[in-house]
Amino acid sequence: MEILLENLNLVIFLLLFIIGYTFGSLAEKRHYRSIIQREAELLKLAVVTAEGSFPAGQVKESALVSGSAVISIDYFKRILATLRNIFGGRVKSYESLVDRARREAILRMKEQAHKQGAKMVINMRLETATIGRNANQKKQIGSIEAIAYGTAIVMNK
Amino acid sequence: MKFTPKQLQKNVNVSTTHPLVELLWMVGGLTFIIGLVFILLGITTDWAIAKTPVRIETWIGKLALKEFTTNNNPPLQQRLQELLEHLPADSPLHQYQFQVYLAASEEVNAIALPGGNIVVFSGLLQEVESENELAMVLAHELGHFAHRDHLRGLGRGLGITVATAMLFGESSSTSGLVSSALLSFNNRYSQRQEAAADRFGLDLLTKRYGHAGGATDFFARHNADAGAKTAYILASHPHPQARITALEQQITAKQYKNETTEALRDDVKLEDKE
Repeated sequence: MEILLENLNLVIFLLLFIIGYTFGSLAEKRHYRSIIQREAELLKLAVVTAEGSFPAGQVKESALVSGSAVISIDYFKRILATLRNIFGGRVKSYESLVDRARREAILRMKEQAHKQGAKMVINMRLETATIGRNANQKKQIGSIEAIAYGTAIVMNK
Repeated sequence: MKFTPKQLQKNVNVSTTHPLVELLWMVGGLTFIIGLVFILLGITTDWAIAKTPVRIETWIGKLALKEFTTNNNPPLQQRLQELLEHLPADSPLHQYQFQVYLAASEEVNAIALPGGNIVVFSGLLQEVESENELAMVLAHELGHFAHRDHLRGLGRGLGITVATAMLFGESSSTSGLVSSALLSFNNRYSQRQEAAADRFGLDLLTKRYGHAGGATDFFARHNADAGAKTAYILASHPHPQARITALEQQITAKQYKNETTEALRDDVKLEDKE
């Protein structure tokens, strides 16, 4: 018990490390399941980055749709990235965060377009931003935000 | 062109390496590198020590001595002079101006500080029972000077601290962990030095008194309350029993005589035995 109290810093570190790993990977698995399921549901709604041109009278309505998502890093991923900072190379632990943020943002945009009865989204653009610039520094919040926006097209029957 | 929606099965944007595997590789690599740094530090300090003049050492010694509240102790100084007179004429120890200090502390220990300063803790003086034992302790410390161990420990400790601070930042928990792990490594290294200092001490003791009596008395008394052997793997000094065995082997090998010891004279006895 005394040893634990003497090395309180270390104990807290290990605890956060384990919490970060368990809950981080749990959240990631759940999120990916949800992403894959929703992507399948909205598969018919086409999203293209092309401008697109339509014959006169075919488009009933067009509107700006956007979706954004913010995903936070967890303690485990942060440590992994810190170690990467020493060795260099791909920061694999952050790759899934960027992927999740991007896909979630596109999904939300598609959901918004779907609600408006759109058949497709054209001219889709993606942007990412970091909230909390110094993600690897202590007491700093590290998270990634992705914004997807495009033009939703509602066709005439 | 007909639009056929299709859900992609593989995700090329995310690496498939398991995060724990990645962690293992990186932690393993880091441990390896730090180990390498430690070995290199050892080699470079060893190299640098041979080139450090005693003048610079004296300067470091003044800094190190500030860590302790000490008094110069003339009776102890006299014991040391008697030992020094028995050093061989070509001994490198003649370059030093040795000073013995007495520090008030319960610790049963004596320390060799750079620049020829020896700090004896009052806890040790209380346990010593004969002149010969005291001479053995002082000669052991002189052994550290002869092998320049006192500087080696200093250089390596400094190197480890600098290296971990560079890697993990000055006050992070990781650097504390790494340096404490490496310092215990350092202690183990130092057990070998302690054994060498013991051998030096025994030779000098025999020259001083003409016999090796009292060389092992101090450790023998300590052996009783030394505890389990396993705890000594990480301690700075070898287990007393191991030291006694090594000393006795040397006494037999060199055919030193074992005669009765001189009782401790009154001038070094501590007045208040609290």
